[in-house]
Amino acid sequence: MEINGMEQDLARMMELTSLRAQKIEAAPATLDLSDPVQELVQRLHPEKITLRLEAIKDETSDTRTYRFTAAEGSGLPFFRAGQYLSVKMEVEGKRVARPYSISSAPSDWPGFLELTVRRKAGGFVSEQIWRQWQAGSLVEASGPHGNFYFEPLRDSRQIVAIAGGSGVTPFRSMIREIAAGKLDLELLLLYGSRLADEIIFAKELEALAAKAPQKIRVEHVISEPAAGWDGLKGFIDAALIREYAGELSGKSFFVCGPPEMYRFLQEQFAQLGLPRRQIRWELAGAVQDITAEPGYPAGARGRIFQLHLRRRGAEYTVPAAAEESILTALERAGLAPDSQCRSGECGFCRSLLTAGEVYVRPESDGRRAADRRLGFIHPCASYPLSDLSLTTP
Amino acid sequence: MHQVKAANSSQEPSLLEYDVVVIGAGLGGLSAALKLAAEGAKVLLLEQHNLPGGFATSFVRGRFEFEVSLHELSDVGPPDNKGAVRRFLEDEVGVQVEFLPVPEAYHLILPEAGLNIKIPFGVEPFIETIAGAVPGSREPLARYMEVCREVSRALSFIGRSGGKPDPAVLLERYPAFVTTAGYTVAEVTAKFGLPEKALQMIYPYWSYMGVPVSRMSFTLFAVMLYSYISKGAYIPRFTSHGLAAAMDASIRELGGETCYNTRVSKILVEGGKVVAVETEGGEHIKARAVVANLSPHLVYGRLVHPREAVPERAARLLNARRVGTSALVVYLGLDATPEALNLDSYGYFIGPSMDTEQAYANFCRFEPPQMQAVICLNRANPECSPPGTTILSATSLVGPEAWREVRPEQYYDVKNQMAGAMVRQLEEYLNAPIRDHIEEIEVAAPQTFARYTGAYKGVIYGYEQDPWDSIVARSMATGSERLIKGLEFAGGFAFMGHGYAPSIISGRAAALAVLHHLGGSAGREA
Ligand SMILES: Cc1cc2nc3c(=O)[nH]c(=O)nc-3n(C[C@H](O)[C@H](O)[C@H](O)COP(=O)(O)OP(=O)(O)OC[C@H]3O[C@@H](n4cnc5c(N)ncnc54)[C@H](O)[C@@H]3O)c2cc1C
Ligand code: FES
Repeated sequence: MEINGMEQDLARMMELTSLRAQKIEAAPATLDLSDPVQELVQRLHPEKITLRLEAIKDETSDTRTYRFTAAEGSGLPFFRAGQYLSVKMEVEGKRVARPYSISSAPSDWPGFLELTVRRKAGGFVSEQIWRQWQAGSLVEASGPHGNFYFEPLRDSRQIVAIAGGSGVTPFRSMIREIAAGKLDLELLLLYGSRLADEIIFAKELEALAAKAPQKIRVEHVISEPAAGWDGLKGFIDAALIREYAGELSGKSFFVCGPPEMYRFLQEQFAQLGLPRRQIRWELAGAVQDITAEPGYPAGARGRIFQLHLRRRGAEYTVPAAAEESILTALERAGLAPDSQCRSGECGFCRSLLTAGEVYVRPESDGRRAADRRLGFIHPCASYPLSDLSLTTP
Repeated sequence: MHQVKAANSSQEPSLLEYDVVVIGAGLGGLSAALKLAAEGAKVLLLEQHNLPGGFATSFVRGRFEFEVSLHELSDVGPPDNKGAVRRFLEDEVGVQVEFLPVPEAYHLILPEAGLNIKIPFGVEPFIETIAGAVPGSREPLARYMEVCREVSRALSFIGRSGGKPDPAVLLERYPAFVTTAGYTVAEVTAKFGLPEKALQMIYPYWSYMGVPVSRMSFTLFAVMLYSYISKGAYIPRFTSHGLAAAMDASIRELGGETCYNTRVSKILVEGGKVVAVETEGGEHIKARAVVANLSPHLVYGRLVHPREAVPERAARLLNARRVGTSALVVYLGLDATPEALNLDSYGYFIGPSMDTEQAYANFCRFEPPQMQAVICLNRANPECSPPGTTILSATSLVGPEAWREVRPEQYYDVKNQMAGAMVRQLEEYLNAPIRDHIEEIEVAAPQTFARYTGAYKGVIYGYEQDPWDSIVARSMATGSERLIKGLEFAGGFAFMGHGYAPSIISGRAAALAVLHHLGGSAGREA
């Protein structure tokens, strides 16, 4: 095989070296490191986000909206309506992280960004947020994270949003975006609260719906109504959905609320015969009582196990209660790996279980198949059933 | 209360002195660490992310686990005719991975050229199929494949000779390698008189390289084509994350250490020699050698310390090279079977035509893709998703430069518009009702790759291999381009170029070079 005759072909090969040398000689001596891709990444997902608290607004007796701007030297990340931030805090000298949906709209960016926090009785972090955050506070976070946003190739432009309690926060973001004319959707919000007084954003949602009545509708459903409530009562169930959402085919359902609500709604959706692809579930966080789960094995309840931890070459032993996720046990000890979703899905807390047994709810088992076989767990969604040996990154 | 007992908590990682520190747990870094650990070197692998694998990874959405990057792995071969990758993993370093064969080479759909044809693996079936569709192509194609075979053999010979082959032997045994090494794909292929239509059927793998045939090194193309066609292709049963996680586990079994969530910020150089690395957390770790599984741009541009230790030649070399392209990938979890979606092949190449120049020019624009590489994972791994569902991914190449003008608030729209154009093209060309069945979707852009791996410009394809910067030219220059003693490169930016098999092999080669540097005495002597 010759291309231009043996002599010339050989010369061409030998010339590769001199050609290379020439190219190198001719090139500038100062390395060009410009990188438009990483530049955009840094603006979309800044390495470190530091927020400066500007204002606090009381929404209900146990819920506040915190408005932030970017602290000096930090970016304010752009996001999609429905995404969350992982707020990093130091509580009693221990580093912890908690997810909070961004309740402001992308169109509010880059002016400000808001988180709306419901205080959880006995909550480790939300109680501290309540006590400590004031105008001027600096708050560290990562994100935006999460996949709970309108995706034009998959989702219908007719959305039925179902919220429970503080689960309304991502929908406030979407609704503000729709009202601002930046997101072309028709959205019906079915919003369940325990008491009328606990409805978050009641007035604002009303005003936004009035501004764009063809696009935005809001219906409140109260499960434990006080005398005098003349709106919808009970739970958001199949009958209510059918009545208010009308024709279901061709619509997308977005659900955000506590895990207990998800179980109930799953049955309702089954009755309605909706295929999975029409329903988006926001991450649910941890269940209230893991031992009450249908598949939870008998015998572990109430026990405290020993958790042997290897972390970056050092070893520790900490107690781990059956009722708490392994991540919580590690947080108590001030040894937790960084986390994002705390729902078993993102894999950020992935750790290697070298001995012992854990319980993982099938619904929050977001592990990769290979990891399951190799013994990895997501500590935020794994509960101890015996003494454990764990290696965290 | 909590009893917290800290053992040696001041030490992280467990030692602060190693023979070798490997930076980056991509396939190149994992392979280097494996080989080093297997040879008894004291090795520490540091990775900034919380997972091994780099691009070789997967992610979970709902009830689907998506393969991020792998289309097909070359050089694995069946168990009874092992290729270099399988030999290395199974026999040399003892990594347990289950591989599944890919059923066909590719299904090519080029409507403007009137082509819709499935091309099989196996040299004979490959020639038969193309000859059957294009009269007059059998004889030239057979000669062409013979040349590709000779080029591949020559490269193995060069590898076995440690990169210093005897030129006389090379010329005598592998003349076709020597006569073609200086030329491009287009220059060599033109000599065979293959009809245009046959060329279109031969060229699709070009999209795994991202350099138009008018510039791509023929050697590179010949080796790739011959390897795939003659040995077939494989995928790991539990995605490429399964491969990476198994490699990570084996490193530890072999006595190596791996440390995640740890970003290296400096490679310390003294007297032209690597002496240590420093992590972002401030750990100072002594090392006699470093294997860098990241781009020389980042190593010379950001890591080597002090800056004066970076030779001027490094800057000139990198400025002379062309940084390869990146990609936009649409991952789809569909709630219908492959049959119902009319997806009967594993791998498709689709596009209006096979004009590699035009497709390359298109990398820098946000326009409907000229070429998509599409994978229906279920066709090689029917158990990859729940019954009644399908995993489909579509990749088109996009360059970094196109993103200069894109602002954060435009980014998602730009990405979604591209994804929309790709899905519409898929539906049209494959006659597949995709949009009616999307249960999960994710779109990865160069930014996504850059974010998770730190890759310079989000590049997935290393440096472009024109003849002057081809694997041949790079090999001839290795000696003169080892600019800092004890510093070796592994992975897609190393001498072999990107791709799963080349990254693995380059990691092994970097380990051998390091062992040589350490004087062959890296064993754990007391
Ligand atoms: C994606 C996502 C978005 C969300 N968005 C919002 C939102 O917009 N607004 C909102 O209000 N909520 C939101 N949530 C819920 C919110 O994250 C939780 O309410 C919050 O994490 C509660 O944190 P906490 O620390 O107050 O309670 P937790 O401490 O998590 O409560 C669990 C229990 O464990 C105990 N415990 C846990 N850790 C420790 C520890 N380290 N030491 C001692 N005891 C401990 C506590 O005593 C408590 O009884 C969201 C959740 C997710 C997953
Ligand atoms: S933090 Fe997301 S899986 Fe644990």
